Amino acid sequence: MLSFVRRYQVLVSSFLCVLLSLYLVAPAAKGESRADPIGPILIALIRPFQTGVRAVVSGTKNVYQGYLALIGLSAENDRLRSHIVELEAERNRLLEAEATNKRLRELMDFRTELPAGSITASVIGNSASTWFNSVLLDKGTSHGVNKGMGVVSLMGVVGQVVSATSKNAKVLLITDPHSGVDVLTQQSRARGIVTGSLETGPIMKYVKRSEDLQEGERLVTSGLDGIFPKGLLVGTISKVQKKSFGLFQYVEINLAVDPSRIEEVLVVRGQPAQAQD
Amino acid sequence: MRLFLLFIVAGFLVVLLQTTVLRHLLPLGRFVPDLALVLCVYLGLNHPTVGAVVGSFALGYSVDVFSAGGVLGLNAFAFSLVFLAVYLSSRAIWVHSSLSSAPVVFFASWIKVAALQGVWTLFLATEGLGAGALKYTLVDAMLAAVLAPGIFSLLKRGQSYLEEMRMPVL
Repeated sequence: MLSFVRRYQVLVSSFLCVLLSLYLVAPAAKGESRADPIGPILIALIRPFQTGVRAVVSGTKNVYQGYLALIGLSAENDRLRSHIVELEAERNRLLEAEATNKRLRELMDFRTELPAGSITASVIGNSASTWFNSVLLDKGTSHGVNKGMGVVSLMGVVGQVVSATSKNAKVLLITDPHSGVDVLTQQSRARGIVTGSLETGPIMKYVKRSEDLQEGERLVTSGLDGIFPKGLLVGTISKVQKKSFGLFQYVEINLAVDPSRIEEVLVVRGQPAQAQD
Repeated sequence: MRLFLLFIVAGFLVVLLQTTVLRHLLPLGRFVPDLALVLCVYLGLNHPTVGAVVGSFALGYSVDVFSAGGVLGLNAFAFSLVFLAVYLSSRAIWVHSSLSSAPVVFFASWIKVAALQGVWTLFLATEGLGAGALKYTLVDAMLAAVLAPGIFSLLKRGQSYLEEMRMPVL
């Protein structure tokens, strides 16, 4: 027996690794996750390097940009760009408030600010695989970031925290096919789920055929998932298609945020789901 | 021991690169060149040892750890299978130059995706990975294949450097 193992040690160990992998995957079939004692150590080990590399990349990028533009122009450009971001957020807030008023929702005090306790975090790493869209944040449970919290930027929704260690948090981006954000269209108030897709980019799923959607219409979070506060911009509808069959229509969207370029984010705590009006 | 350290450092660098600069440096959208797969194929072709098996498993495990959407063990399974496939076929494949590693890595990439899809279908039944997956696999495989000769060459140089250091001076 021992001689067999010695002779075929590579094959045997390979099979053992394959079996161990399946053992690790198995709980996911039931929607559970196995405790991962090694993952946090790996993340902790690589974290300083990720932070360092990010600083170098960011620094290099800044030097390059500074080289291309005069210092004064660059500063002015930054100021104007941040001003545009603020105005865009303000415009979205006003549009949402107008839609809400039209529907005589007098008691609603639409939140213009994110909920108290929002945490600012920096993106220090990306997904190691093409197949999953995620980022790693430099804040974790010790800073108040926990699994299930929403992640947003000034421009809109970014994703959701799917796991957190004491100093880091993994965020599943809205562009990932496994993600899902409950949304409303701003004018027609149609509900749906925004998720990523490998085929076309982000799409809005489960929109009834009877809903009258328009291209260019804005999508905002519904607040019903208890993850994101209501009214945060998610994106705009880029294509609506009613096929000759099926209960739902096909909706492609342009996201407000390009998650691959995001550097700073806010982690927000959702509010308890409200009853649908 | 030195060789073992070389591959530990290579694995660490590969994961670090995949999770940081590669996305910023290469204008490839959501695609990340799968350097870990290239390293796994290199190990399968050149190092038929238990250490290399564990190394391949660890590479896949690391990819799982740094991919939030991934299920723990998913890539570990795929990488272990890729190692096994490359190891079993290594007797028939003669990679005489770094350039000839490209087709091996290309096919290994397809094996990896087949393994991922297999586990998805059997265990997770995730929707939305149908026709689009084919395009992603093709681009992913081509990217890895293009980078493979360079990485093979680097690893071979590192290995020969360490072996020269080990040889006694006459």
